[in-house]
Amino acid sequence: MGYSMTLTDNLFENLRLELRRGCLTLAVLAQLKQEHYGYTLRKALAERGMEIEESTLYPLLRRLEAQGLLTSEWREEEKRNKRFYRLSSDGEQIFARLLEEWNAINTSITNLL
Amino acid sequence: MELLDRYLQAVKKHLPWQRQDDIIAELRANLEAQLEDKETELGRPLTKEEAEAWIKQLGAPIQVAARYQRQQYLIGPGLFPTYFYVLKLTFYWATAVYLIARVVNVAAQGSSLNAYAGIVFGLPWFWLINGAIITLVFALIELSGPRLPGKIAQLPPLNPGWTPMDLPPVGAGDGEKKPWSFAKALAEAIFGCFFFAWLLLVPHYPYLMFGPGEWYLASLPYKLAQVWWPFYWCIVGINGFELMWKIADLSGGAWQKRRMWRHWAMHFLSLIPLGILLAAPGQQLFLAKSAAANVKTLADANRGMHTALMIAIAVVALQIVWHAGKMAVEAYRKRVAA
Repeated sequence: MGYSMTLTDNLFENLRLELRRGCLTLAVLAQLKQEHYGYTLRKALAERGMEIEESTLYPLLRRLEAQGLLTSEWREEEKRNKRFYRLSSDGEQIFARLLEEWNAINTSITNLL
Repeated sequence: MELLDRYLQAVKKHLPWQRQDDIIAELRANLEAQLEDKETELGRPLTKEEAEAWIKQLGAPIQVAARYQRQQYLIGPGLFPTYFYVLKLTFYWATAVYLIARVVNVAAQGSSLNAYAGIVFGLPWFWLINGAIITLVFALIELSGPRLPGKIAQLPPLNPGWTPMDLPPVGAGDGEKKPWSFAKALAEAIFGCFFFAWLLLVPHYPYLMFGPGEWYLASLPYKLAQVWWPFYWCIVGINGFELMWKIADLSGGAWQKRRMWRHWAMHFLSLIPLGILLAAPGQQLFLAKSAAANVKTLADANRGMHTALMIAIAVVALQIVWHAGKMAVEAYRKRVAA
């Protein structure tokens, strides 16, 4: 019984992570219409119900920047050097298209339920 | 905080060297800001236990660093179907080549049973090395993918240029399931009768097999050894048996189903005539007919023929194993489907 519960839990966890993976990118792009550095971005997302682990968010920012969706710059704030990110012009276009896709999926799922 | 410094140092060790300073500086800024927030909230510095718990929930250094790697897999989902296809193909073909080469080599040296056991025990290593080489090649292709945009997708099974008309016809490669028409079964039986008659006539009229070459062969100072007669009658017997089977199927109305059993039995029976030749006394398949015969040429011909027979037997044995495996898989699939 316990074994099958673990299997079910694992399966659920894997599916949940899979479902969240794409949503996280969308959430980060949405939030980076305003400039943020890593920690404030994480806080802003958490305040809106989107909790992301540090070890997921910070590398994701690097990846999105490498893909040209974000721009970044090092700047001093409160006596500390921080790397600030914001959506690039390419990122804005991609984000708009992803948002359309997200809305379409959301509508379909709502219709199915 | 000393513990944070130690943590960042451990993460840095696993980061790509070109970017490690930049990544660590950013990570430090973020984590220090988070630490400040926590301490402001508590109104005091974190205790040793609280600091330890906080650092622990950040994740193991090696895992955190791994997230910054550009590639976190050896072979990605885009390339994996091709990799697996090549791996399967290589497994079958390389195993066949390995077994034939090793069996012939061992047989030619007249080695003991231990040598044959060595071939079997060597198989897992052989598979491991083959698998490792293929995996390495595909990992390199995957690694060079970002540097060769669009090129990887051109690999055959992933080729976007395919059309539905390239698909093989239904039943191709699965003769067991394809119904056999009466006309085809009848034609097979009739040609089988002609072939059988031809086979019976060959010893009396060798030109039916060799054509004009018969007179040249007759002029050579060599002749076939006596062992070719039992070989010949064995071939006649097997063909007669198969022909009777086909005619029985035809007259019994069972021509539609192509029988894997018949195919398998014929492979098995074909080992008998090959075995007869292989067991020829002194491996003498060709003999001198006159004093003009060259002893060395004769010995070379006999040795060459003996090796060819061993290869043929190894090939037939592998085919039998292959068919047995296919039948076992088919039986298992039917059982699961039921």
